[in-house]
Amino acid sequence: MIFSELYSAYYNAVAEIITLVISGERDEKRLREAVCDKAFSESVLEVLPSLRSGKWQIITPSLETPIKNKPTLPLTLLQKRWLKAVMLDPRVKLFGIEIEGLEEVEPLFTSEDYLVYDKYLDGDDFEDEGYIIRFRNILKGLRENTPLRITYLSRHGDEVVFCVLPERLEYSEKDDKFRLIARGSRSLTTFNLNRVLRVTAVKGSPPIREKISPPETCSVTLRIRDERNALERCMLHFAHFEKYAERLDNGDYTVRVNYSVDDETEMVIRILRFGPFVEVVEPQSFRELIIDRLKKQMSIKI
Amino acid sequence: MSEYRELVKNFEKVRSYMREFYVYGFKSRSEYDSKSARSYDDERRRIESWLGDHMGFIRTRDGKNAFISIDSRVSAHNPLYKGLKTKSFTDKDITLHFILFDLLSSPEIKMTLPEILDGLDAYLSAFSSPMLFDESTVRKKLREYINEGIICTERSGKSNLYFRSPETLLPESCDGIHFFSEVMPCGAVGSFLLDKYPDNADKVSFKHHYITSALDSDILVRLFEAMHTKRTVTAVNYSRHSELPCKIYIVPLRVFISVQTGRQHLLAFDLNNGRIKSWRVDYLAEVEIGDKCPSFDNYRELLEKSRRYMWGVNCSKSDRYLETVEFTVFVGDGEEYIVNRLEREKRLGTVEKVDDNHYRFSATVFDTGELLPWIRSFVCRITSIKFSNRTLENRFRDDLRETYRLYGLGGDEE
Repeated sequence: MIFSELYSAYYNAVAEIITLVISGERDEKRLREAVCDKAFSESVLEVLPSLRSGKWQIITPSLETPIKNKPTLPLTLLQKRWLKAVMLDPRVKLFGIEIEGLEEVEPLFTSEDYLVYDKYLDGDDFEDEGYIIRFRNILKGLRENTPLRITYLSRHGDEVVFCVLPERLEYSEKDDKFRLIARGSRSLTTFNLNRVLRVTAVKGSPPIREKISPPETCSVTLRIRDERNALERCMLHFAHFEKYAERLDNGDYTVRVNYSVDDETEMVIRILRFGPFVEVVEPQSFRELIIDRLKKQMSIKI
Repeated sequence: MSEYRELVKNFEKVRSYMREFYVYGFKSRSEYDSKSARSYDDERRRIESWLGDHMGFIRTRDGKNAFISIDSRVSAHNPLYKGLKTKSFTDKDITLHFILFDLLSSPEIKMTLPEILDGLDAYLSAFSSPMLFDESTVRKKLREYINEGIICTERSGKSNLYFRSPETLLPESCDGIHFFSEVMPCGAVGSFLLDKYPDNADKVSFKHHYITSALDSDILVRLFEAMHTKRTVTAVNYSRHSELPCKIYIVPLRVFISVQTGRQHLLAFDLNNGRIKSWRVDYLAEVEIGDKCPSFDNYRELLEKSRRYMWGVNCSKSDRYLETVEFTVFVGDGEEYIVNRLEREKRLGTVEKVDDNHYRFSATVFDTGELLPWIRSFVCRITSIKFSNRTLENRFRDDLRETYRLYGLGGDEE
């Protein structure tokens, strides 16, 4: 069972409080912070009073505990089975995960039990030894905050060398690709990992991370006519963006979707997929992008 | 009237609210009419407490609307997993849990039930009104934990000895667990593992990342278990096609996950009408695992054979009902990326070069309707299109004309 108190935020919060109390930390403020950190915004109203009142007999009203050891819990069978399933995934080699003690454990699922059926076919080759080494070098750079020298194959087929500070890796499930987001001299740069040829660490102390503005975002407002289940399809399709939806008087809906400026063309294509059921309302400049494509299509007699 | 609690006993009720708030977010309080107003207020308050800033409100003429808005590219950890960490428990549950694992603080410590009961009493003597645990309560909890795999038992003479399961060491760095907690089915389990790490600074973020499947984690675990043990399942399907929920009797075969639409479907053999069908996982509830199914391997083989004609999740009774589609696109000079798009985005079928500036895609599938959204994404360069299903071809052309009108172009493409 996934929905179990064994995994609950309250159990985690209480384990943290016991750990603090055992180590001699009894400051009320610190204990409240522990609850906020491990549980939810209203949890302080429940957790500490329940402990202090003796409702949960783990901490005494004077903030002592009969518990002697820092609370730990062995992995549940469900956790082991999920880990075993993870170990069967080819991408596991990228992270160099090795876990002992799972030999007799049945995986929770295997590739026979599920299928990602619409990811693109030109995803990264996660089993290529060179790719794995480069990935791990980047990950090491991220963990250790080390600048990296990246040799990159440009679109024109040239080898270009960059010296960057890795910011994070980004994975697209649709593209089945990793990208490295890194700090260059002034801005963030994106590198497709399948075009990274070499990665080496640059010696020296890590540079100070100056604040770089996040990528520019903009929004598009769509009007949805709920036919052929368009409303649900559209809302789910754009669910991973920050968005706000509203119903109009005529029974249509509008949804404002915030997206990264870099993804404008992708957004145009995604909106076209919905045909006449999703219309771009604003901004006019985005609407023109759709109109332009429609005009081109109109000019072709099919 | 029961008092409001932040935790819940049953996730099913709050699951539908979370989905509504996240996927739609335009409904006002009065529209959640199938539930009482009190119930709505409690669920909204809980979700707000769990998700914090991800929950928003807006006042409209219909009232105050609650919605969940999450940019999954910015939020490296799926916030909806928090909903799965809210199971309620009794005062005795939590007290017994922490004392029990302190008594059994290492796998080498093995105790009988009476020894555990004595140990409990000793711990609880620190309190002015100590809780009382009877033998059956503790035995029941031990049995529950044995099933969860965190307590082991062995026979010693006439008694059972209980001890904690041996430790399984997690990787030193949590990056891998974090990655898989977001991209693998039942990733909530990975999130539970991450809770064991003191620090989980994020090295990986996600693009095109759908997170609603988190809410279906418990359903998926049961479906995978049924597949693993080759068993039948009964479930309740809350389909949009019918007013009333419908009970289904199936053999689960495989979960089809879409990373382009955010939907997950269960492909299963329908024992009521003898064919493979698909069901939306987020519409399923009350999944109960039933008997062994001797034909499981045959059904799975049938599904595997069908896959060569499945663009999406629609599966036909036999390959006598196949449809064909072909369309040609214009590819200008320097637009090789369009050919790349055709090649990498096609799930089946073929792409052939017609001439230097035209490429044709063709496919034979069970349901050409499933290709419509993809074909529309090439609008502006489609030079010919042909469906064997004439109704569908007319629909495509009608839709295109309608789209022209929508943008004030009003012409006729034919």
